[in-house]
Amino acid sequence: MALFQCSLFSTSLCFGTSFHVIIPSPDSDELMNKKDSSYFKEGVEFPVLYLLHGAYGDYTDWQRQTGIERYAQKHKIAVVMPSASNSFYQDMHRGSAYYTYLTEELPSFIERTFPVSTRREDTFVAGLSMGGYGALRLALMCPEKYQACISLSGAVDLEQLMEAVNSGNVTGPFQWHNIFEHPEGIRNTEADLFYLMERNQKQNRPIPDIFQSCGTEDFLYSINVAADKKMTDLGIRHTFETHPGVHDWDYWDLHIQRAMDWLPLNNHKLEE
Amino acid sequence: MAHIQLNFFSSSLRKNTDVNIFLPSPEPDDYLFGQLEPFYQKGKKYQTIYLLHGSYDDCHSWVRKSSLERYAQERKVAVVMPTAENSMYQNMKYGEDYETFIAKELPEFLHITLPLSREREDTFIAGLSMGGGGAFSLAMKYPDKYAAAASLSGGLDMKSLKSEAHLEKMPVSYRNAVGNHEAAIDLIDNVDVKKLPKMLMTCGTEDFILPCNRSFYKKAKEYGLDIVYKESPGAHTWEFWDQSIKEVLDWLPLLQGMV
Repeated sequence: MALFQCSLFSTSLCFGTSFHVIIPSPDSDELMNKKDSSYFKEGVEFPVLYLLHGAYGDYTDWQRQTGIERYAQKHKIAVVMPSASNSFYQDMHRGSAYYTYLTEELPSFIERTFPVSTRREDTFVAGLSMGGYGALRLALMCPEKYQACISLSGAVDLEQLMEAVNSGNVTGPFQWHNIFEHPEGIRNTEADLFYLMERNQKQNRPIPDIFQSCGTEDFLYSINVAADKKMTDLGIRHTFETHPGVHDWDYWDLHIQRAMDWLPLNNHKLEE
Repeated sequence: MAHIQLNFFSSSLRKNTDVNIFLPSPEPDDYLFGQLEPFYQKGKKYQTIYLLHGSYDDCHSWVRKSSLERYAQERKVAVVMPTAENSMYQNMKYGEDYETFIAKELPEFLHITLPLSREREDTFIAGLSMGGGGAFSLAMKYPDKYAAAASLSGGLDMKSLKSEAHLEKMPVSYRNAVGNHEAAIDLIDNVDVKKLPKMLMTCGTEDFILPCNRSFYKKAKEYGLDIVYKESPGAHTWEFWDQSIKEVLDWLPLLQGMV
């Protein structure tokens, strides 16, 4: 397995930014156990998973805190891990254009630089907490680009999360007025995931496959349970899993594995 | 430049290894002046310089100690900087196969993973000191892979030096692992001159390694190699190499864009 740590000037953000890219490649396990490395040849196109961090995080989180590289190698999937500051995956009202960076500039660079597939069926986005919301948002805003999205302990109902933060029940680094022009009015806007789901339905646009997981002792558990019900009421097909656990890396390291097992990977293509 | 730090498992080295890569990308001025077209053109590739470090150095040295990134960005050429420890860029007698890694495995890996041109006319090799010897040795052993090769203060004929200078402090156990050093000057005997990359050598006049360069150049001219040699004031220092690499970049047949 190969890890590419990239740093470049982003024309969307107007400053330098870094991201990690995992590309499956023949490793010591394959060498020692005489496994088949023939997948790694010129013209190979790996499926690609964009993997998003949570609040307070950056592009190094997933690499440092989990075994993501092993899981990527196992599934023969490329993984891209960018930084998005505390933007809630928006083009911030006062701040930087992280949504544009993540949906336009970064995929364009990745597709022109690395051996990844550009097909919708091979493109996925996942994240934890703020990144769980981010993964669903990116996929629902650009449903023609992403086949599937994954939320682990995600802030899937942003309105409810804001209420919890404002009432002091939850702490967070979010200065909502920096992120949104009208934080009190995000319902039925592009920051509202359920609005996006309904809009896609009305416009006959595809709905990405959705995988949602949350620990039963997680402070976001009730928000996730309510979101699951809302999606069911809207007729949005999705997979909702709950397991014992809290809002921590033990949960995310374990459940990203379940989520990656769930991904509709067309690995038979690599073996041709 | 996009600065890429790659780490991957190498079967020639039988371990993970670090590689620094510069891939041209828009800088703030390109963004401010609306000059984004030269970059990221789908289906096109970059010309590539394999740039080798000296003894006691590693894949980070060119990045940290020179302004190479700025010079390469101006010329829109990709640069690949591997690590070779103190192997003299040979397949060590008792150790890692650095020659195979740099001449074969690394380019193969990079052609699969990054938009770097496979063509000989787009591929170049250069290095300083031990890396200068390495660049010329690999150019002479694999002439079909490189269109041009450059040596900066190269260790091209270590026997010509009165003492082994800085190599004396290398641990004996390591030197035994490397085995006999195939000097670049000895490889001239077996080359097909017509098939060689064109070559450039630079050296500082106060550099202890100067005799290596004069003896190599003399023999190379006798054998009719397409080679240019430039001496200028300077010693075995990064001040010299930071300047000299610009001469190398100016001399290389760069198209200054994607191909």
